[in-house]
Amino acid sequence: MRERKITHEHFLRGIDIMASACRPLWLGKNWTFRARQQCRCLCTKRNLTNSDVRQKRSALFEEEKKRQFSLVTRIEKIEVQYKGTPEDTTLVMNKGLSTPFNCAMHIQELLTSRTALALVDGEPWDMHRPLNKSCQLQFLHFQDEDPTIANNAFWRTCSFTLGYVLENAFKDQYYIELCSFPKPNVKSGSFIYDADLKFDNWKPSKTELNCLSRIGAKLYHSDLQFERLDIDASLAAKIFEDNRFKSAQIPAIAAKSESGSKVTVYRMGDHVDITAGPLISSTSLIGRFTVTAIHDIESPTLGPLKRVQGVALPTQLKMHYWTYDNILVSRGAKLNHAPFPFLSSRESKTKQKVRQRGKERIPHMKADPRESAAPTQSLRDPPGVRLGHAGVFNASGNAHCASAHAFAFRSAMKEF
Amino acid sequence: MSGVWGLGGGQKGRLEHLRRLVTKLIKTERVEWSWHQLDEARGYAEKLIMMAIRNGDQHKPTMEMADYWLLEKELIHKLFKVLVPRYQNLPVAATNLYRLPDNKERRECMQGVLELKGNPWPPVLPQPRDKRLLLTNILLREACQEYNQNRQRSSSNSQIIQTQETGNPSSTSNSNTMGSSVDPINAELPGEGLQNMNAVSPETKVGS
Repeated sequence: MRERKITHEHFLRGIDIMASACRPLWLGKNWTFRARQQCRCLCTKRNLTNSDVRQKRSALFEEEKKRQFSLVTRIEKIEVQYKGTPEDTTLVMNKGLSTPFNCAMHIQELLTSRTALALVDGEPWDMHRPLNKSCQLQFLHFQDEDPTIANNAFWRTCSFTLGYVLENAFKDQYYIELCSFPKPNVKSGSFIYDADLKFDNWKPSKTELNCLSRIGAKLYHSDLQFERLDIDASLAAKIFEDNRFKSAQIPAIAAKSESGSKVTVYRMGDHVDITAGPLISSTSLIGRFTVTAIHDIESPTLGPLKRVQGVALPTQLKMHYWTYDNILVSRGAKLNHAPFPFLSSRESKTKQKVRQRGKERIPHMKADPRESAAPTQSLRDPPGVRLGHAGVFNASGNAHCASAHAFAFRSAMKEF
Repeated sequence: MSGVWGLGGGQKGRLEHLRRLVTKLIKTERVEWSWHQLDEARGYAEKLIMMAIRNGDQHKPTMEMADYWLLEKELIHKLFKVLVPRYQNLPVAATNLYRLPDNKERRECMQGVLELKGNPWPPVLPQPRDKRLLLTNILLREACQEYNQNRQRSSSNSQIIQTQETGNPSSTSNSNTMGSSVDPINAELPGEGLQNMNAVSPETKVGS
């Protein structure tokens, strides 16, 4: 059945998708504003949207970055001793301003394009993080003799990127709340982001997963840098005040830091997230990106969540599509048994460790999400937390339809 | 003495050329020349080293051979004092012969490299790189391990299913089914338990 009947409803939906999909490409701010106003008229209950929150976070990040930049009033010089190809050199750079990326620009273009991470005095260092003292510098990429550090940074970056995909994929009426992702483990075969997607019984089809993947895969062309910032816990709380998981995690994260009140935050494009890092240099290093599966999980303290999994490969490493699609993606779709997100702020540390150990592996939890769907529903939070949820279901008739129409894919637009 | 000394000088010239190659090999421990001539010189160099190891420097024929093949006489000293101790316990050949890539622009014939083992030069062949830690290789290796584990588990499961289905383990037909269950081809098929059951059922009827 290839024929399509174009109805009034289709037309309306098309406009709606256009409004959110084409905004960053060629339409001005006025269009965005009008489209958003239109949405607000249609659904009065909603007051938080992902795009609003994204802009707010990005603005706060930018403000803080400018403030930290303005603290460097006097330019001092440092000596950076570079070790590696094409030759060992010594560079004179600016303290607190120059990054390893700037050093690479002075040495060779290849180093700027392929380097994932820098090693400053033997410690992993982001490519876009300013250097604070005279140091020894090395560059890491994915085909080194021992690329373990770069691999882990890549896997962590892919989790970070998955958060970006989830926040950008859905229409504004669905407010996605990202929770967290575990430590990178390449051997597990998939990277993870745990999030509250606000859909109870959504089993994403292959097409829907494909559309999610495309949003991540497109980042290769946009070449966005990962910017790092160490900010105060109070500012972090302000940035993430719209996310109930993140705002609850911030005190515990700040307590773990060296100074006791710092949180490390990264930004890619306009997406801001908490992670200890280090992350790779830019999104042009992500060659393949696939969202493989979305599973239902039950966190001991945070309630039911969705575990979104994916597989990715660096641009530098090539692989035949058959191997990638049949072996890596199918393995990445199985439920990853990494520790579930856990909130520890109210409890003592010893208790938390014990509980975490207990919950680390759940042998009874099968890869099939249908088995865990039933208890998940009964344990859901009160409906007040999830805004606009009931409205969607009523309007479209059944849950499957609602979820299928929920996407406003930028990349899928070309095919329509 | 003929006018041409070396290649093109007839049989004597050819021998003279081989002597030069052997001398150069003992002296510099690595020679680059056409592959076929190096292959010929290799045999004489090996024979010379082998005789030196077996007979020592008190043996007259051996000394005569060394005197003939080594044009520079100080190399006789190197042969007995340096090379004999180096290769004394070596059970295999003391030399290596490699083919060089063809370079049609420069020369027509096949080029090669002859070297003594244990020489001080950098290796001719590049060291093989360890690529086990590349991201793609880690992912594929883990996937392979998981697949093998699942296969072992499924084959052992199908064994258990069959023993339960066939019931009487002492019957002759059962021993056949046990044999088929180990077969990896059957174990790989999806729903292998059912298929094996179907295959087994006629035999059990015959047996009963």
